[in-house]
Amino acid sequence: MKKKLTVLFLMLMMLAGFSTLSFAQENATITVWCWDPNFNIYAMEKAADIYKDINPNVTVDVQEVAWEDIQTRLSTSLSANQTKDLPDIVLMQDNALIKNVSSFPDAFYDLSDSGINFDKFADFKVELTTVDGRNYGVPFDNGAAINAMRVDVLEEAGYTIDDFTDITWKEFIEKGSKVREKTGKPLLSAIAGESDLLMVMLQSTGNWLFDSNGEPYITENEALKEVIRVYQELLKKKILVEVNDWDQYISSFQSGTVAGTMNGAWIIGSIVPVEEQAGDWRITNIPRFGSIEGATNYSSQGGSSWMVMASSKNPELAADFLNQTFAGSKELYETILPSSGALATYLPAGDSEVYNEPHPYFGGQKIYSDITDFASRVPRVKYGIYNYEARDAVSTAITQIMQGQNIMDALNEAQSTVEFQMW
Amino acid sequence: MRKEKIFRASKYLFLISISFLSLFPLLWMFIAATNKSVDVLAGTLFPGTNLVENFKTLTANTNLYRAMWNSFKYAAVTTLASLLVSSLAGYGFEIYHDRGKDFLMNILLLSMMVPFAVIMVPLYMLFGNLGLLNTTAGFALPTVSTAFLIFLFRQSSRNFPHEVIEASRLDGLTEVGIFFRMFIPIMRSTYAAAAVITFMNAWNNYLWPLIIMQKESARTMPLLISNLTAGYTIDYGVLMLAVGISILPTLIIFLALQKNFAEGVTGSAK
Repeated sequence: MKKKLTVLFLMLMMLAGFSTLSFAQENATITVWCWDPNFNIYAMEKAADIYKDINPNVTVDVQEVAWEDIQTRLSTSLSANQTKDLPDIVLMQDNALIKNVSSFPDAFYDLSDSGINFDKFADFKVELTTVDGRNYGVPFDNGAAINAMRVDVLEEAGYTIDDFTDITWKEFIEKGSKVREKTGKPLLSAIAGESDLLMVMLQSTGNWLFDSNGEPYITENEALKEVIRVYQELLKKKILVEVNDWDQYISSFQSGTVAGTMNGAWIIGSIVPVEEQAGDWRITNIPRFGSIEGATNYSSQGGSSWMVMASSKNPELAADFLNQTFAGSKELYETILPSSGALATYLPAGDSEVYNEPHPYFGGQKIYSDITDFASRVPRVKYGIYNYEARDAVSTAITQIMQGQNIMDALNEAQSTVEFQMW
Repeated sequence: MRKEKIFRASKYLFLISISFLSLFPLLWMFIAATNKSVDVLAGTLFPGTNLVENFKTLTANTNLYRAMWNSFKYAAVTTLASLLVSSLAGYGFEIYHDRGKDFLMNILLLSMMVPFAVIMVPLYMLFGNLGLLNTTAGFALPTVSTAFLIFLFRQSSRNFPHEVIEASRLDGLTEVGIFFRMFIPIMRSTYAAAAVITFMNAWNNYLWPLIIMQKESARTMPLLISNLTAGYTIDYGVLMLAVGISILPTLIIFLALQKNFAEGVTGSAK
C-alpha cells in the first residue's frame, strides 16, 4: 500500500514537472545581464525586438548589472554552486573571458556546435572568445583601436589627418613634436599606472604578455621593450601626458588640453558629446612599429562578448536567440549603430549602407566602415588566463621604469610576479 | 584685549577653513547634480540649470523609487532587528556577568578580525540552501548580531545604574521587564548612536546585497549607483544626483538623532 502510494506520488510529481517544462518551452524568458543603457542594453533590447518576430513566445528580460558586479556575482554563485539566480546570457569583458571559462569549466555553454557561424566575425575577436578550440562567446562590441585626432589643431602645424595615416611611431613622434611646438598641445593622454595604451601598442605588433604555450613572456619580449621605449620617448617629448584617473583622461580631450586620443573604438562615445568640437575630429589607424617584424597599424582595446550560461534552463534557446540576432541579423546592427554608435565585429554589417553613412561630427568621414575595416586587420593574440595579472604586473613595472628603475630589473620582477601568481 | 581678538579671529578662520574643506566634496556633489556631464568634467563650481533634465534621465533609465524603497526597507528591518538582538546580548554580557561570558565576549570580538569577503561564499551557499536569496531576511540576518554593536552595548551597560535593577526587582518587575521598561528608555542615547551606525552601514552595504539580491526588483541604491558608473560614457551630472538622493535618508536620520548620537558615542567611551 505504502509503495503504491509512493509510486503514485512520484508519478504526480513527474506529471507536474513535465507540465511546467512544456509550459516553459512555450513561454520562455531569457534573462540577460549587461551594462550601459546607451550601448549594450540598448543593443540587447533591439535584438529582443527582432527575435520577437521570429519566436513570439520568448521574452527577453534585460537587466542592468555593472561589469564588476557581474564578475562578483558569477564568482560567488559559481563557487557556492548556487546558480539558480544566474541569468541565461551574460555580457563578458574579453579581457576576463578565458579566465572565467578556465576557473569554472562547466559554467558556460559551449557554442561551437550551436549553429553560429563564427567566420562572420573579426578574427581577433573570435580568438579572444575561444578556449581550447571551443567557442564560448558571440563577439559583440568592437574594441578595434583608433587614433582620433583634432584636425583643427593639426592644421595649425601644417598637417592633415593623412599625415598621420599608415605611419610609424618614429614619424608620429616627429610630427607630434612639431604639433607640440606650434600649438603647445600634446597629441595623447594616458592614465598613469595603467597599461591600456601600452597594451594597444603591444597588440599591434602581434605579440602579447604570454607565449604560444601560455607561459609569461615579459623579460625576453623584445616587442614589449620597444613599446616601453617609445612610450618613454612620447612622455619625454611631451607628446603624451599622463593623468591620474579615468575622469581626467576623458576631460583631457573633451576640454581640448590634448589634441587627440588613442583607444578602443568605443571611446567615440566620449568624444562626440562636446558640441563645440563638432567637425574638428577625424579618425585614423594607429602608428606601427617600424623596427618590429610583422607589426601592423591595427590593434584593439576592451570590448565584450555574449556568453550563454550552462546553468540556463534553456541554453539551446539562448544560443538560438544569439544566433538569429547578434550572429545573423544585419538589420540589428543597422538599427543600433546610428543611435548608440554600437559598432559590431560582425563583418557582413560592414557592407551595409548605414555603416557607409558619413558622420557629421567627424567632418563627414565614413568612420564606421573605416573602423570595421580596422577590426578585420587586428592581429590575433591570445590574452590567456592570467591576462589581468600580467597587465597589472607590467603596469607596476612601467611605473617603476618611469621613476628611473632599470628596464630589465623591472621586467624581471614583473615576470616573476606573474609566474608566482600562476604557480 | 586686542591680542585676544586676533586670536579669536584666527581660531574661527581656522575652523571655518577646516569645515569648508570637509564640506566641500558634499557641496560639490550637489552642484554637480545640477550640471551637464561635460561641465562637471570641466570642473565648474557654479550651480547649473540641468537639474530637472538630470532627474528625468535618472528616473527614465533606472527604477529610482523602487531602489530607494528597497534600501529603506532592508535598512530599517536590519536596524530594528540588530538593535534588539545586539542590545539584549550586550546587556546580558554585562549585567549577568561571569568569567565564562567574558571568554565568550573575547571570542566574539575576534570575529571582528575576519573580513566579510572571506565568509561571503560559504554564507551565500548557506543562504541559498535555506532559500533566503532575494529576501529581506537574507539581507538582514548576517548583520543582525555584530560584535561591534554587542561591544558598544556591553560598554554602555557599565554605566547603567545597578540600583535601578535592584529597585525594579524589589518592585516586582521581571528580568525581561527590566530590560524593556528600564534599560531601553534610560539608554536611549546609546540606542540612537547604534541606530545611526547600523542604518548607515545597512544603507551603504554593497557587497552582500550585490550577491544576495540578484533579482532586479530587489535592487538597492548602492547597486543602482554602481550601474550608473558602468557605462563607456558616464553621465556625471546624473551620477551625482543619484548619490545626492541616496545620502538623504541617512542625512535626515543623522540630523534627527544628532544630539543623542554624540551623547551615545562619548558615553560608551567613559
